[in-house]
Amino acid sequence: MSNFESLSKAVIAGNVGQAAEITKNALDLGARPMDILNLGLLPGMAVVGDRFKKGDMFVPEVLMAARVMQSCMEILKPMLVDEEVPSAGTVVIGTVKGDLHDIGKNLVAMMLESAGFRVVNLGVDVPPEKFASAIREHKPHILGMSALLTTTMLRMKDTIELLEEEGLRDKVKVIVGGAPVTRDFSEEIRADGYAPDAASAAELAKQIVGFSVSS
Amino acid sequence: MGNMVCPNFKVCVTPQFEVLTQDQRQQIYFGALEILARTGAQIHDERTLELLQQNGCQVEGTRVYFPRALVEWAVAAAPSYVTIYDRNGRPAMYLGGNNVYFGPGPTNTFHLDPFTGERRKPLKTDKADVARVVDALPNIDYAMDLGTPSDVTSTLADVHAFDAMVRNTEKPIVHWGFDVEQYEDIIKMAAAVKGGLEQLARRPFIVLYSESSPPLVHSKEAIAKALYAAEMGIPVIYTPCVMAGATAPATMAGTLAITVAESLAGLTAVQLLKKGAPFIMGGVISIMDMSSTILSYGAPEFNLLQAALAEVAHHIGLPVFGTGGCIDSKVLDAQAAAEAAQSILLSALSGANLVHDCGYMEFGSTGSVELLVLDDEIIGYVKRIMRGINIDDESLALEVIDRVGPGGHFLGEDHTMAHFRTETWFPTLCDRRRYDDWVAHGSTSLEQRLKEKTQAIIRGHQPRPLPDHVLARLDEIVSAAEEREAAKAKKRR
Repeated sequence: MSNFESLSKAVIAGNVGQAAEITKNALDLGARPMDILNLGLLPGMAVVGDRFKKGDMFVPEVLMAARVMQSCMEILKPMLVDEEVPSAGTVVIGTVKGDLHDIGKNLVAMMLESAGFRVVNLGVDVPPEKFASAIREHKPHILGMSALLTTTMLRMKDTIELLEEEGLRDKVKVIVGGAPVTRDFSEEIRADGYAPDAASAAELAKQIVGFSVSS
Repeated sequence: MGNMVCPNFKVCVTPQFEVLTQDQRQQIYFGALEILARTGAQIHDERTLELLQQNGCQVEGTRVYFPRALVEWAVAAAPSYVTIYDRNGRPAMYLGGNNVYFGPGPTNTFHLDPFTGERRKPLKTDKADVARVVDALPNIDYAMDLGTPSDVTSTLADVHAFDAMVRNTEKPIVHWGFDVEQYEDIIKMAAAVKGGLEQLARRPFIVLYSESSPPLVHSKEAIAKALYAAEMGIPVIYTPCVMAGATAPATMAGTLAITVAESLAGLTAVQLLKKGAPFIMGGVISIMDMSSTILSYGAPEFNLLQAALAEVAHHIGLPVFGTGGCIDSKVLDAQAAAEAAQSILLSALSGANLVHDCGYMEFGSTGSVELLVLDDEIIGYVKRIMRGINIDDESLALEVIDRVGPGGHFLGEDHTMAHFRTETWFPTLCDRRRYDDWVAHGSTSLEQRLKEKTQAIIRGHQPRPLPDHVLARLDEIVSAAEEREAAKAKKRR
């Protein structure tokens, strides 16, 4: 149906108003919510991801597309029965204790959401205990920690140690990122993964979930 | 802030730069007039000598003394800007004022092969590659041959180079010729493309240039070619290569005055022959390196002199042939990038109109399309600087700043979406990837990416072809020139 194609285009163009209108019209005409998602929204996001990787699209445009995706999902969610709500998995994410940097972590959250993850965003200045209790409560597949400062990145290690002490470490994959964080550092603190930027963080999360499903 | 009244408000949308004040520009110009009146010049062409004598020059043998008022008349008679069209007849360059355009240079002895890395003699097929690379690069505005082809009849290297270029780019072509006969061939070919000489003269897509032999000597070929092209309605560039300390005084000011005097002698003859003929003042001016004796294309004095020359040209109201994107280095290394970037930035800041010699390596001995591709990237960077900072209510963005507030971000704002692509320059060669991403993409150096991009353009870019009947006519003109040169060679034997 050509409407799905124009919905994909509206996602790519970052046009919230147009995408919402097409989604509503499609529902009125009796289209299945799952089809709107799988044939319209997701293919659009796939093109966006592809173009971003090639350098033809840039961060603000990817964010706009992600925003379109989210606003259309708000329309679709009530129509989808619970088990139908697609989710690649759950991610708990936060900036570590002592660090007030929000933007990079929020970018990662947004990229994860548009890749189909449910994201529990704990905000900034998150102490190890709060990460631990969020894991108990939400049972996420992945824990993502962010730090922008050399001085605060060591709190990532504290969190991982607390998870080990409390027997939670095996229940979740830990990924880390932020300007001073390197692959070496992530290995040193026994994290499961590291991503240098928001787009590759979403890629990494998809890989991790893929692994845990197949294993 | 829109309702605010603000007296004495000065706006500079683009960066401001000058090497000489108005008074100093006047001093250089008067110095040139004084040289032509007092010292004069040697001119080795009967027709030009006659023309100059008839119009009040004092002629003693080949020595000519120019009345100041006559040269001033010629400066006023020439148009202050010249429009050059592309092959399809669309205006491509408005040469005048502070408008800046970039292109390659001519006649290098060697060609740096972009596939093998070998420094070798240029071939005709290289000229086709040069033209296609020019055609593909967004910041290169016109073509020049970037090397004299060595695999054709040597006295027709100019004609063959033009033949290869005109088939492979739709952009304007700035070219040269050995003598008037070759100019005739080239103008015939260009006229064939446009469907007639009249059409070509109305919308010229070629510019022909010749060089005097400083200090103050004008060979028969140089000045006769300029007069012939002007007569045919083709815009001319008359440009000396001046070496401070050798063919000019060691001082910057004296070198500038001689350079201007060289061009103005050519200008005076051209305007006397055809008042109002489009004329572009030139001058590749630099120091002679006192240890190697080369004319340096990367020296700070070169950049200073080129900028000052552009300013003198602006002062007297003539379009100017600039020089930039050229280097002394023999390889594409850090020296290369530094030299190319300096001259491109300073050419742009000085408002030189027709900046040539992009792709010139080894002080002009070697032509390189890879350097041309690098120059294109640098020009993109410099063009962004030249666009300056626009300040109005929309760009000051106080509304958005207030809406986002402390601790928020601007990445998801409509305002960002509306402006980020036009406000920022996007590199195609300079690497800004994060380290891991850079490693994942092969840990390439600029040199490697440059080679890759250049080769991809040569393999992939094809401009629209000329119609078959034009191609056939070009073949005929080249064959006729070959026959003429063969007959001349036979006669000599």
